Amino acid sequence: MTELPLLRAMRLKGRLSAEAAASYAGSSVPDAQAGLEELVGLGHAARAGDFVSLTAQGRERLAALLADERRSLDVAALDTGYEEFDRFNTELKRIVTDWQLRDGQPNDHADRAYDTVIVERLLDLHDRFSPLLARFAALARRLSPYRDRFGRAAESVRAGDHSYIARPIIDSYHTVWFELHEDLIGLLGRTRAAEAAAGRAV
Amino acid sequence: MSGGVLLWIGECGELDRELVGGKAFSLNRMRQLKLPVPPAFVLTTEVCRRFHANGGRLDDDVVEAVRQAVAMLEERTERVFGGADRPLLVSVRSGAARSMPGMMDTVLNLGLNPRVERALREQTGDRRYPADTHARFVDQFARVTGSPPPEEPWDQLMAAVAAVFGSWNSARARAYRSHHGIDESGGTAVTIQAMVFGNLDARSGTGVLFTRNPLSGDSEPYGEWLPGGQGEDVVSGRFDPLPLERLATALPEVHAELLAAAATLETDRRDVQDIEFTVEAGKLWLLQCRPAKRSPYAAVRLASALVKDGIVTVEQALGLVSPEQIAAVCRPRIAPEARHRATVLARGEPACPGASSGHVALDVDAAMDLADSGGDVVLVRRTTEPHDVAGMIASVAIVTEVGGSTSHAAVVSRELGIPCVVGCGAGTVAELAGREVTVDGSTGEIFDGRLEMASCSEAEIPELAELARWARERSDPLESVPDGHPGHR
Repeated sequence: MTELPLLRAMRLKGRLSAEAAASYAGSSVPDAQAGLEELVGLGHAARAGDFVSLTAQGRERLAALLADERRSLDVAALDTGYEEFDRFNTELKRIVTDWQLRDGQPNDHADRAYDTVIVERLLDLHDRFSPLLARFAALARRLSPYRDRFGRAAESVRAGDHSYIARPIIDSYHTVWFELHEDLIGLLGRTRAAEAAAGRAV
Repeated sequence: MSGGVLLWIGECGELDRELVGGKAFSLNRMRQLKLPVPPAFVLTTEVCRRFHANGGRLDDDVVEAVRQAVAMLEERTERVFGGADRPLLVSVRSGAARSMPGMMDTVLNLGLNPRVERALREQTGDRRYPADTHARFVDQFARVTGSPPPEEPWDQLMAAVAAVFGSWNSARARAYRSHHGIDESGGTAVTIQAMVFGNLDARSGTGVLFTRNPLSGDSEPYGEWLPGGQGEDVVSGRFDPLPLERLATALPEVHAELLAAAATLETDRRDVQDIEFTVEAGKLWLLQCRPAKRSPYAAVRLASALVKDGIVTVEQALGLVSPEQIAAVCRPRIAPEARHRATVLARGEPACPGASSGHVALDVDAAMDLADSGGDVVLVRRTTEPHDVAGMIASVAIVTEVGGSTSHAAVVSRELGIPCVVGCGAGTVAELAGREVTVDGSTGEIFDGRLEMASCSEAEIPELAELARWARERSDPLESVPDGHPGHR
């Protein structure tokens, strides 16, 4: 039952590698590789070098699977969780922006005390956010791999690898956060355009 | 009651920064300048020391002093703490010299409970705001004190004050101080201030004012005004505020008073200021004032302007511009002549500085195809989604219709160092489709066509030449401005 996560991962990433697919689906790389090959065989995905991406047919298949999934969800509980997420979202974006900009200028990371405070703020948010993430995983099992993904990003940051704060493409805290946000929007049957207009998802 | 324990802001002359913390010090200075600041008092770092010496308890005389002070706040605001008719809400803030991890700094809207929420709903006719504020308060309170707020506002206040003092000795704060060699005995102060309501009626709102334009460096006040907005609404970037001029139209007297206050503060602090304000039923309140963050270009121009206006000396002006800012000003940018002739197609919020030109692509696939064929791509989206990242990487500039400086597009562009303008408004995608454009991520403008680029010279920025000359005259040259050839660092 990795079809939905793999299709979803392609939708989120555009061009998907087996490694990224494994991380997203919470599976081993060979399993993800095999799953992707199967989807290519079914015509849901197309391969270009090391990457696969969704075909039009795959897009339809994904939409159908998501609609099925939504029928079995406790949308009210997810909705409540999403409101809590929204507050964390505002805070996370502020933290990442403070990491990148200082006094309106790119942070040159010369002031370690300044950077330390921001890393602490991120790790503190991670601690406080984790219970909500566990609730999300209980409400929609497909979200379970996010716990490991956030955990790995937080650990990397704690260990001093600051590229895991916000760098795109790799599973940085901001990358994983943004994908979770997109998944929550999808699970709730909302659209990003509407969420953006409401000031929540931009 | 000893005068060293509880002090009223604005009524005790000059305060000792060590004793009251930076926040109270700044508010006090504003009150001394006769500016309208919501009534506030501060529990000094002396109380913090006694709290800890007492095993984490507030002295009875301190509790009594706070009780009397709250009664005074009620009298001055004509509101009642926990009252259903005109409820008084307060903010509780820590006032250590610097923020540090583990230190709890702020609880806003203390005094809310279900009854007060109902009262606010009736008073403001706004259903969403009281519920939102209450939820935020419960959240903040639980974070600061470790438990949900009690029903009674007085109990909330005592718990919050104790938690802020207690947090001075949290393991995290202690570890941080020891790591950074900060004195353990300093302690934190606690400032308690009446909240004002920008969502009260049609003559209410909230905003920010810069005493001069922090982006362009023009010596004109610059700001945003959100009618009916409360507290964090403007800074949160969730709403699209109006330009400050709209306040001049709606409430001309408030606008005039605000500009006068801005001038007073700029002169007093000898630098361009960033002022947060709220208007409650036509009455102006200043909430915060700090030196304005500014673009490097603005830093150079403002330093020069402040000298001309007699606000700072030449020496002080040189101190307002850093070598990094000079270096940034000297990055390649759009040639002034070309900019002058160019047509602005769209404007938004600058999110990542720098300028570049390319062909507009409206989605990831188009962007990647164009980039694969060797073209320069400007990715233009309503708002960006995770799967846009590959397209962003392939682009030389990024533009969005919706979103602020903390939005996804802004964050990713800064990681990549790609010039980016966000929040250009509906219709931008349609306007830019099919064109070749030049994006200036420093000013937030998108121009028609591919504009000529120039590296800066003192000749093009007269203020830069002026600063360089002053620096040379004082035989203390700015490192980054060698004679005639600025910016080669």
